[in-house]
Amino acid sequence: MKADSNKFPELNKTKFENRGKEFKLGIPVTNAITIGNSVAVGFGDGTVRIFRSGQISEVIKAHSGVVLSISKDGEDILTGGDDGRFLKISLDGEINEIANFGSRWVDHVTAYNGSLVCTSGNIVYLWMPNKKEPKLLEHESTIGGVAFDSKGRRLAVSRYGGVTLWKKDYSNKWSSSNLIWKGSHNKVIFSTDDRFLVTSMQENQLHFWRLKDKTDSFMSGYGAKVKSFAFVYDSKFLVTSGSNEAICWPFDGNGPEGRKPICLPYVGNKLVTFVEPFPNENAIFTGLSDGSVFLSEIEKSTNTIIIRSFTESEVTTIAVTEDCSSILIGDIGGNILWTSIWDEEEK
Amino acid sequence: MGETNKQVPVTVLTGFLGAGKTTLLNRILTEQHGKKYAVIVNEFGEQGIDNDLVVDADEEVFEMNNGCICCTVRGDLIRILSGLMKRADKLDAIIVETTGLADPAPVAQTFFVDQDVADRTKLDAIVTVADAVHLSTQLSDHHEAEEQVAFADVVLLNKIDLVDESRLDAVKDRIKKINPFAKIIHTTKCGVSLSEILNLDAFNLKRILDTEPDFLTSDHDHEHDDDVTSLSFVSDTPLDMEKFQDWFSKLLQTKGQDILRTKGILDFKGENDRYVFQGVHMLMDASPMGKWPEGKERNSRLVFIGRNLESMNLKEGFENCKSA
Repeated sequence: MKADSNKFPELNKTKFENRGKEFKLGIPVTNAITIGNSVAVGFGDGTVRIFRSGQISEVIKAHSGVVLSISKDGEDILTGGDDGRFLKISLDGEINEIANFGSRWVDHVTAYNGSLVCTSGNIVYLWMPNKKEPKLLEHESTIGGVAFDSKGRRLAVSRYGGVTLWKKDYSNKWSSSNLIWKGSHNKVIFSTDDRFLVTSMQENQLHFWRLKDKTDSFMSGYGAKVKSFAFVYDSKFLVTSGSNEAICWPFDGNGPEGRKPICLPYVGNKLVTFVEPFPNENAIFTGLSDGSVFLSEIEKSTNTIIIRSFTESEVTTIAVTEDCSSILIGDIGGNILWTSIWDEEEK
Repeated sequence: MGETNKQVPVTVLTGFLGAGKTTLLNRILTEQHGKKYAVIVNEFGEQGIDNDLVVDADEEVFEMNNGCICCTVRGDLIRILSGLMKRADKLDAIIVETTGLADPAPVAQTFFVDQDVADRTKLDAIVTVADAVHLSTQLSDHHEAEEQVAFADVVLLNKIDLVDESRLDAVKDRIKKINPFAKIIHTTKCGVSLSEILNLDAFNLKRILDTEPDFLTSDHDHEHDDDVTSLSFVSDTPLDMEKFQDWFSKLLQTKGQDILRTKGILDFKGENDRYVFQGVHMLMDASPMGKWPEGKERNSRLVFIGRNLESMNLKEGFENCKSA
């Protein structure tokens, strides 16, 4: 977008808003997951809504409280709620309760090829494919996040004091090792090439480990907690929220140590609250605390376009369909934009 | 974000096991019709809380990597409060029940340190339920009991029907010695008007001015060094801002672990505004709070609640801050 200080962007709807559908639901959007060319969205009232191209959204009454986490297992949606339930929901809306922990929240859910994982308190519950009883992996403190690597062989569990790295051998036995760093670790992710592990911390910083030699370091300088971060498709960059710019750390070669990040500025100087890589490109969608969303090329910061103008509610989720045709944007105020990314002639 | 009217008040209930926390909790929940409360309980708590939104917590105390050795926060509280703030239905209040042996400092510090928590919720007050029969023994035997009284905005002195008047007076004196600010409410079976324990806004700097706490200079008997006591100072001579900041920040940095709570209203030379502050250990919330009211004498008053206060040369330090 070319900045034009005499013009208030909120007065003009973007072309994406004009050709898409807007929903003012008034219910906080908590998270979303792409399944093929559909997007499943979790809400603060426990509902899940499924958005498909050309169809109105369907409402699934999944949880009685907040949908705290969302993931997928093949074509099915997985959700964890503050009603203590871990659910598997088909795209047709059929709900299958996998576990119920009562007043203990299900904070995180994930899956790999039929292996289902949820966490509640300090325990990871792991259901191997077609097994009825879960395996329990216990940790010394409450779990901040979980992630499988790209092959499903390793499961990273972040917690107070570092990360427990669980590894599965060929006889399906799990053993663990520890990656230690003082402080409370929240969300954890592997790089898409499985070479690095990154956590966000209670302090305004990220921590990373290079897994081949377990060297580690931190990325700091943020004005707020880094709640949203992700690797671009080939792990060349880690894109992060938590500042008034989208901070993109170089993760090619030996990683970011001693190197400077690329910082992408946005009009309005608001806090970046959500980042979502554009599939198969060195580009990101960036959501800000005022509800606006931009698309930028990381290495050509002048190449930025505005996708959604202000809503005055912070962006809490952005999801792109697998075929890159559509994008869903949700915010804490319950505003949703569901729109095609390309013009008919651009396709 | 950050606007007071959007912040959900959080009341912290402390007190030893058996003092009556659960009784009080159930009283709050049954008497407040039409209000939506979330109750955060610990897993060792007494059973039987009658509310549709009860969350189990683990009381995980985390150290922060911010160079401040006594800066600990409740990690579980950050996680739960952030989760509750995503709810579609608005909560009128959140009540956090702590275990009997919990130190209230990490709970209070969570509201100073975590920006998300501070943006969306506010610490309303720390209410300590104390058993009039057993408090004296508990204070002698357990650091935690002293800390719970030291941090309290309100002490609910419960089961007073089970002690005679002289014993009640002795317990009250003991509480006052530890914490001269706490409002003491006498109850049997936690029978208290909810307006006396909810929506107090006790951590708001404005409230410190409104309540005009009793900042009497305390004459101090020598106690065990380990006992929690309070000391307060008054000065009619305006203070030198630079000297005060220098002294006070060094004091908190070096003795912050022993200083549990501080409060003060300060008159600085050359400044028209009243400066108000309150702190928990090393963490401090301070702000100019408007001009001194007309016709009201200007003076500086501050109070410390903590351990080993005698060894800190507080009087001398404070005297040295007076402007020449």
